[in-house]
Amino acid sequence: MSAVETRPRANENLIVVPYRRVSMAALITNVVLILLGGFFVLPMLWMVFASLDSSPDWAIKLPSLTFANFADVIGTAGALTAFRSSLILAGTTTVITAVLAVLAAYPLSRMHIPFKRTFMLAILFASGLPVAMLIVPVYQLYVYLGWLDSLYTTAMFLAASSLPFAIWLMKNFIDAVPVELEQAAAIDGASTFRILRQVVLPLTLPGIAVTAIYTFINAWGAFIIPFVLNSNPEDQPGPIEIYNFMGSHGLFKFGDLAVFSLLFSLPVIVLYLFMSRYFSGAFNFSGAVRG
Amino acid sequence: MQSDVQFEGVHKLFGTEAAVEDLNLTVDAGEFMVLVGPSGCGKTTTLRMLAGLERPSYGRILIGEKLVNNVPPRFRDVAMVFQSYALYPHMNVYDNLAFGMRARGAAGPLVDQRVKETAEVLGLGQLLKRRPSELSGGQRQRVALGRALIRQPQVFLMDEPLSNLDAGLRVQMRAELSRLHDRFRVTTMYVTHDQVEAMTMGDRIAVMNSGRLQQVDMPETLYDNPANLFVAGFIGSPRMNFVPGQITTENGKAAVRFLGVTAPLAASSQLIGDASGGEVTVGIRPEDLMWRPAAGPDSTLTLSSEVDVVEPMGHEAYVTAVCAGQTVTSRFPPRSGVRTHERVELALNPARLHLFDARSGESILQRPVAGSAEALKSAKEAWIGRSAAGRDRQSRAPGVPSKAEEI
Repeated sequence: MSAVETRPRANENLIVVPYRRVSMAALITNVVLILLGGFFVLPMLWMVFASLDSSPDWAIKLPSLTFANFADVIGTAGALTAFRSSLILAGTTTVITAVLAVLAAYPLSRMHIPFKRTFMLAILFASGLPVAMLIVPVYQLYVYLGWLDSLYTTAMFLAASSLPFAIWLMKNFIDAVPVELEQAAAIDGASTFRILRQVVLPLTLPGIAVTAIYTFINAWGAFIIPFVLNSNPEDQPGPIEIYNFMGSHGLFKFGDLAVFSLLFSLPVIVLYLFMSRYFSGAFNFSGAVRG
Repeated sequence: MQSDVQFEGVHKLFGTEAAVEDLNLTVDAGEFMVLVGPSGCGKTTTLRMLAGLERPSYGRILIGEKLVNNVPPRFRDVAMVFQSYALYPHMNVYDNLAFGMRARGAAGPLVDQRVKETAEVLGLGQLLKRRPSELSGGQRQRVALGRALIRQPQVFLMDEPLSNLDAGLRVQMRAELSRLHDRFRVTTMYVTHDQVEAMTMGDRIAVMNSGRLQQVDMPETLYDNPANLFVAGFIGSPRMNFVPGQITTENGKAAVRFLGVTAPLAASSQLIGDASGGEVTVGIRPEDLMWRPAAGPDSTLTLSSEVDVVEPMGHEAYVTAVCAGQTVTSRFPPRSGVRTHERVELALNPARLHLFDARSGESILQRPVAGSAEALKSAKEAWIGRSAAGRDRQSRAPGVPSKAEEI
């Protein structure tokens, strides 16, 4: 998972043979990948076409251009509310997760803790559990606590479910910061707080950003948890709004559905692009240790 | 201000492994002590215990009479140069240098002044705005050094600071470190596995092996009077030759038989302790084993041997020869014309022999340094004088911030 491990360059020390012949294996792999890719690309294509079409339906077809669907969706209050709700939900989840993940990952990375390995494996296992498995007992708990129908309490469960993976991710990022930098700072006379603030945090900032973005994207698209825990019609987040487009409005408004889906996925796409830059090149400790 | 450093019966255990065993060592105030030994001998652990990065399992560590066992690194007033430099990669050179003073709450103008002075001393003036990733190895090394210098600590700790530099730069920085120490005279503990660094830089050298201190002495003493087989073999290049021998008497005087010859022990040397059953290991430094035609009149012993390998070094040649079934290395003049399988006569001055107990490996022969006891005495006085002069110099050195400005 760690983006920090330096992978050996494929071509180093290898004799590069010009690649001409298409092997059977490569052919099959590519065909399968293209087919699989189609499953993902086609719905998106429909989304783009339908959003611009004056008479959209199930089919993927070249649109007769109009921006009426956009005007329709942006003009309604429901869409804006859904965006605001999603922002609150995903934002709260991200803040809680990022703070807790850093606080949990730092000692896991740096300190000698008994049964650390067991603990890390337990976390890894937890990150693989399907949330649906927990949803009934969690609903009962929320009823008992009176926490239902609030975006903030819903965010707490979203944060809890995203923490295991976030801790794993964060631990790898902190592992990559040379411990000698902290030791040097300690000998230089810095307090623990100053070391964290001026040495560890700036160097793990890319890692924190990646963890936060990852959590945000997941929470932004979360459906089942907010659907169960938050039935307040005033502040339904985007995914549930999309669901509502399809069901409760009776008639299918394909154009509005497509526009809303498109607008709703834009932040995710932007964040993904941003994150991929971090993953590829932001980790640069060169000059810190060795040459 | 200078402080001495004392290790009193210090042990460090990792689980059941002893990294350092019963270390008793005093570093005098203002002294440059080099800790040398093969990897895994406990020298870095010793340094890290002094820095406060490791806690001793037993024993006491004192800096300037103050027990520091439980004092965290930030309150020890020591500065350390790491082997990896450990520069803060997200800060420029200026901030790297200023970090320690800022952490101690120094005022802005004072920090600025000191950073500039330190950068000047180390020739970093033009690089203050650069990040570590934009510096060469030598420049990084200098920044790491500056980060230690700027604080004017009680003790400098250096963990193989030159090992990541290329050979030329290493020689240059070695001289620069010696110059800096002469100028500031801060008590220094310097860890290295390189015996050349140890010999050239140390006021005294502490040799460690397998967690145990083997010998602490001035470089020349260490070279001339190694306390045991390990020190004898570790210090000196090419390595000292070791051959089995036997203590006997010849004409009523103590003598040693080895490689088919019998050598009387020099009058100025004396046997200390007795060898177990007369079995000894005889140590001969390659430079004491000379080519007969190039040898002086003192080299009264002659060993006949067959040349095995000739390694020309330019200014001299190392000749490995087989003598009475033992392989020995000797230093020949550069163009002796000696070839492999040729029979040569090697000459040896019996006064230059080293004798070690065959079983314990301890030295059993006390030899005078450089041929006379007076030389030893005067060398010691010269060293003490040098330290005193160094201290004097420090208080008057221009451009060096005095401790009075320290926060």
